[in-house]
Amino acid sequence: MAGYILRRLAWTPILLLTVTLITFLLGSYGPGDPVELLQGQYSNPEVVQRIREQRGLDRNIFVQYVHYVQSAVTGDLGESFKYRDRTVKELISKRIWVSAQLGMAASLISILIGIPLGVYVALKQGTWVDITIVSITLFFMSLPVFITAPFLLIFFGLWLGILPIQGWGGFFDTRIIMPALVLGIPGIAMLTRLTRASTLDVLSQDYVRTARAKGLGEFVVRSRHILRNALIPIFTVIGLSLATLVEGSFITEGYFGIPGIGSLAIEAFFSRDYPIITALVLIIASAFVIANLIVDIGYHFLDPRIRY
Amino acid sequence: MHITKKGLHLSFFLTLVLGLTFALTSCNSSSIETTIATPTAESSSDAKEESQPINKTTSEGGVFKLISSDPPTLDPHLASDATSATMIVEIFGGLVTINPDLEVVGDIAKNWEISLDRLTYTFFLREHAVFHNGKPVTAHDFKWSLERACDTLTESLVAEQYLGDIVGVKAKLRGKARDIKGVRVIDDHTLQITIDQPKTYFLAKLTYPTAFVVDKNNVEEGKRWTRNPNGTGPFKLKEYTPGELMVLGSNPEYHLGAPHISEVRYLLSGGTSMLMYENDELDIAGVGLADMDRLLDPSNPLNKELHKAPPSFSTTYIGLNNNDPPFDDPKVRQALNFAINRQEIASLVLADLVHPAKGILPPGFPAYNSSLPGYEYNPEKARQLLKESTYGDDTNKYPPIMLTKAGGFGAAVSLDLEVILESWRQELGLEISIQQTEFASYLQDLHKRRFQMFDIGWIADYPDPENFLDLLFHSTSDNNHTNYNNPIVDDLLVQARTETETEKRYQLYQEAERLILYDSPWIPLWHSGEQYILLKPWVKNYNMSQLIVPKLRFIYFD
Repeated sequence: MAGYILRRLAWTPILLLTVTLITFLLGSYGPGDPVELLQGQYSNPEVVQRIREQRGLDRNIFVQYVHYVQSAVTGDLGESFKYRDRTVKELISKRIWVSAQLGMAASLISILIGIPLGVYVALKQGTWVDITIVSITLFFMSLPVFITAPFLLIFFGLWLGILPIQGWGGFFDTRIIMPALVLGIPGIAMLTRLTRASTLDVLSQDYVRTARAKGLGEFVVRSRHILRNALIPIFTVIGLSLATLVEGSFITEGYFGIPGIGSLAIEAFFSRDYPIITALVLIIASAFVIANLIVDIGYHFLDPRIRY
Repeated sequence: MHITKKGLHLSFFLTLVLGLTFALTSCNSSSIETTIATPTAESSSDAKEESQPINKTTSEGGVFKLISSDPPTLDPHLASDATSATMIVEIFGGLVTINPDLEVVGDIAKNWEISLDRLTYTFFLREHAVFHNGKPVTAHDFKWSLERACDTLTESLVAEQYLGDIVGVKAKLRGKARDIKGVRVIDDHTLQITIDQPKTYFLAKLTYPTAFVVDKNNVEEGKRWTRNPNGTGPFKLKEYTPGELMVLGSNPEYHLGAPHISEVRYLLSGGTSMLMYENDELDIAGVGLADMDRLLDPSNPLNKELHKAPPSFSTTYIGLNNNDPPFDDPKVRQALNFAINRQEIASLVLADLVHPAKGILPPGFPAYNSSLPGYEYNPEKARQLLKESTYGDDTNKYPPIMLTKAGGFGAAVSLDLEVILESWRQELGLEISIQQTEFASYLQDLHKRRFQMFDIGWIADYPDPENFLDLLFHSTSDNNHTNYNNPIVDDLLVQARTETETEKRYQLYQEAERLILYDSPWIPLWHSGEQYILLKPWVKNYNMSQLIVPKLRFIYFD
């Protein structure tokens, strides 16, 4: 097991190097230039050229890449082009934490409602309860953010006046409620459906019949034998979705005025702010590596038959 | 660049577009003239401020709340975008500024004298003007600041545009000189600036942040000095959490008169501005097209809070690449101009929110020519012109034509553009396809002149016809995106650059504009119209102008 983890970790730097190199090449050969964009519609090619030189953008792309890696290893992710007095680290770190908190709140909503609901409807398979609940969750999953966000804002913010319309105050602030609902509701449907399918699959297994046959109580059968086995595919999905927490959500953050990473990321893409883009790619890639590893290790505990 | 969306950053969806747009400073022409004619404009402007209807007994204090995107920088010398400039003009200041009547008036300069050859400006600084920390502002501070703005290490993208007229700035920017030759300290409170040619708009350019004064000790604190800026403006930076909140506190010592409100809160993390306004989380909000009908309904209580802001100086147009077939024939270009009904599209499609363009310069702009006939809708004549052109009227034989537009991301193009394309199809039989590209690629291709036909706009950086006509139509200008080349126009533009007599100079520009319109490198479409703004009833004396001028110190609450 330890050997497996070490082997996986040893691959990580190579993966991250490849990912950043690809980002670098795409940035360099793709259209658009950060300095030109900063100057805007008015163009003075000489000024743009001068600043490109100053920032080292005119050097060979591989030389730039090596420089980047050298400083990234020491924790220096460079400076933003657009936000001219701020380092990338400063711009990103706080915002990632905000997005992660919001993402966690949304995941909690999806998990705490979705999984129990999935098990429940699986046990009621084929009845009107099953059909009604699955349809309702599907309905909510199909609603785009453009509808849920303004609806919640108008309903809770303007009509009832019980929740503030804009801003961020951390995980335990009331302002997290609406955005977490917007992000969490589609997840409920997904998890309900997944848990339902997975539970149904387990229900027909021999060991469930055996468990019942040997006289175990229904609760023990459901929690230890059904749910635990049904959780394996669900665990995969949740585990990997945790990695996406650091990506943020551009649209939801926009509606509720949340200083998360989503808006910064989109802005960085459009203004060709390479240092921010590369740093985000690095962080998101690392998050996936870690989440994957956790999921793989987690399998072993959920199902001891899985070994590495 | 969607120039019509410039100005206040009021809606989250606009912030991306706005972040990319160029900042502007403008004021109206006649006022600049007055100022130059009477170097002691300062005294008259003070009188105006005092005469404003402010009820001192009820008006002091209060917090003004608005929404904005995060400013890319608070360093006046680096700012090249509207968001940053809007905040910087409240925190910092320079020699001159623009007052609510859009006249160039003294800021730290008490008054100034202009030499007879109009090349040397001598500024006399106020003796009691101080930085926020109490340190007096001297001519040495200005010299240091101007040189810092033009230092290669500062990496300003706009120093050349705003300060390039000063003798020696270009050498300094290229790293070939230590000082700026044209900036001279006469004594602690007298500064002399020499420019390369007589330019009536020079003072207006000095109102842009690039020319502002900064405190040397403050800047030398390190790269993050703007977190604790020691400016000279009406407001001090009180609190700043990037991406979340910026709080400005009033500067009671401000030399032009302390602000009436005590605090300004900029919410920087976005949000749904319309709802925030309705929930009293904002004192001011822009109005999108989607809310327009509802707000224009007099029975809506919000209707009383709706105000019209004057238009910005801008022109939206379709550019035609004069080197690309079929637009290498002026007759084809003219035909396209004659085949659209601007008036009808403006009324029916754009709800009269824009003014149909007859020429290039927007109404109210210096040298604007109200007697231009413009291209009236005349499909007959359009067809006739096409017939006379080298390409003939058999449009099936035309080379493929593609119009490129920024943004959109594959969504439907704007309705006015649809109607225009349809007019060309119906009236002339011309099929024109549309390509939408993301802004960064658009800008690059525009500068490389790769487009055959492109949809864009221009907004004035400073109020002088040079900023439209010379910049966009001189054959050697970097910003002549249509490859337009007319030696007679070039001559007129060059003459206008040095003509000292304003009237004559404007005549030269009007003649150039007339010739350009005839040659039709552009299809001028719209000038921006009045924009709607929601303002809480308790906010008084808010300057509605779209220009980036210090306006918060005039506000008071009632």
